Amino acid sequence: MKVFDPRHEMLPRAELEQLQLERLQSLLVRLKRNVRRYREKIADIRVERVEDLARLPVTTPEDLVESFPYGMFAQPLREVIRLNSLVGPNGRPLVTGHTRHDLAQWGRLGARQLFASGVTVNDVIQICLGGGARQGSSGYVLGAETLGASVIAEDPSHVDYQLAMLQNYRPTVLITTPTNATELIRLLNLRRVDPQSLNLRTILLSRPVDADTRRQLQAGLFAAVQCSFGIGEILDPGLCVECEEGRFHVNEDQFLVEALDGELVVTTLCREAVPLLRYRTQVNCEARREKCACGRTGIVLIPGSRRDRRLRVNEAPLYEHQIAEVLQQTSAAGHSFQLEVLERGIVVRLEMTEDLMHDTVWPIINLQRELASEFYARLGIEAEIVFVERPPRVS
Amino acid sequence: MLLQVRNLKCGYGSLEVVHGVSLHVRAGEIVGILGGNGAGKTSLLKSIVGLLPPWGGEIRVSGRPTQREPAWRSISNSVVLVPEGKQIFADMTVRENLLVGGFHNPDRKMDLELVLDRFPRLGERLGQMAGTLSGGEQQMLALGRALMARPKLLLLDEPSMGLAPLIVKEVFEEIQKLRDLGVTVLIVEQNAMATLRIADRVYVLETGEIILAGDSADLLHHPEVKRAYLGKGYKEVWE
Repeated sequence: MKVFDPRHEMLPRAELEQLQLERLQSLLVRLKRNVRRYREKIADIRVERVEDLARLPVTTPEDLVESFPYGMFAQPLREVIRLNSLVGPNGRPLVTGHTRHDLAQWGRLGARQLFASGVTVNDVIQICLGGGARQGSSGYVLGAETLGASVIAEDPSHVDYQLAMLQNYRPTVLITTPTNATELIRLLNLRRVDPQSLNLRTILLSRPVDADTRRQLQAGLFAAVQCSFGIGEILDPGLCVECEEGRFHVNEDQFLVEALDGELVVTTLCREAVPLLRYRTQVNCEARREKCACGRTGIVLIPGSRRDRRLRVNEAPLYEHQIAEVLQQTSAAGHSFQLEVLERGIVVRLEMTEDLMHDTVWPIINLQRELASEFYARLGIEAEIVFVERPPRVS
Repeated sequence: MLLQVRNLKCGYGSLEVVHGVSLHVRAGEIVGILGGNGAGKTSLLKSIVGLLPPWGGEIRVSGRPTQREPAWRSISNSVVLVPEGKQIFADMTVRENLLVGGFHNPDRKMDLELVLDRFPRLGERLGQMAGTLSGGEQQMLALGRALMARPKLLLLDEPSMGLAPLIVKEVFEEIQKLRDLGVTVLIVEQNAMATLRIADRVYVLETGEIILAGDSADLLHHPEVKRAYLGKGYKEVWE
């Protein structure tokens, strides 16, 4: 059994509920004292049982946007030692912070997932999360350091370098995104490199994938594949642990989860810098309280699709609104467009209107270049620009 | 869980001083409750043993509800309080003080030997009037007297009060050793550093509410602990 912190991960239900009640009560005290937004919302609501959580107000992503940057902080900035930027609804910026204690705890939660994936002090870990999932690497690095495993500090920027590092440094564990893992397999096939010649034993993916993809990655890299699941605004990784049975157990000593009309709602019990009460994550989920052979007592989460219009390009979140905003900054401002999302980039189909027509193709080619470079510079994504007579859907 | 407290409220007259506190102590643990003056620490302990009747909430000792029981029953629940300021019987000898502690214990003579083994200095002063002992010795006597009742859970109210720093260290070392006797300890203290060094976990109490709880190792240098003592909050994130 691979349980890093049995004292908390395998806590009997009655003790877990006592701990949750204690932590929820002190969370409310801290929120009422330190966060004006919550002080008004919570007012005199008292919690005497964990079930009373349902009487407390919810927090939405819009609340975070409205109180950007520091309105939701429950600690003065002098106590906050790390800030992470995030993409909020419609591409609006969000920020989350960590106190020293938050980071130590993140390390322990990261270690829970790594240990469950079989990582030990003897492992060498390559973390290759690339653009979109990069902020999660902090959690994995802290987790690996907590365990005492060796981490290769550089995140290879290109799959060629990644392969070179895999061959030279011989890491046994690879933490990466499904997109990158697929790309790596493609390269191995192209170069005719036998995955068994690498030393990889475990692949930990930054997000859940379906059973088919998991099998393909497992075969393509000749290593066991595990997934992690988290929510950026809360903690990713760290919200739950995927056990050897393939179930996501919520770290219930740290987070309270509810499935509110099928939506995952999370309360952070111990986060200090930015504690969140009943945060509506916009992710569909099912929560089941079931016994698991791994011995963990945390509720089992089955994450589903997103409820908002967030897209995923090259593992980074993207909203259609952001495309419109980038276009506003270019000579194509105001033109209607249609967006197609590919695995590693996007195709933007712009309506060819009279003002764009010229005698030669050069103005159009220049516009294509301008737009592509704007998309890369502002959003970090590869964009193909296509001009069409009339896009099927007008934004 | 040896002690489970949920939503405990208590107070004096019409003044509520503990506003719905929940905490727990597992067998074999040393748990601390830290807080400044007037945080409600002593009231909380008194309520747990029944000296101050709870206004609401639940107290369970080894799973059995005890919140409606009178204070004298707490000894038979194996919960013993060492009150603030030691409260030894100054005009009685050390030996008499110890025997009073084991008043209901039929094996008290045998236990006296065990307690004297633990605190040899008390053995040297068995016939001496307790009031003539030094502060540190009086605290040891208070501990020894509590042990005579064969407690499972020992509640200590400010054992460091009025003691010189070196003596505090000595007394706390003794408290830490109580774990070997199978005694679980809930200690209420203003001396945060000394408590954090010996406790497994601590709760930080401020104006009758728990604002922070966690493993001692995590809270040893935690700014919130200092803030709880200085009683200074902050209003701006930029502070």
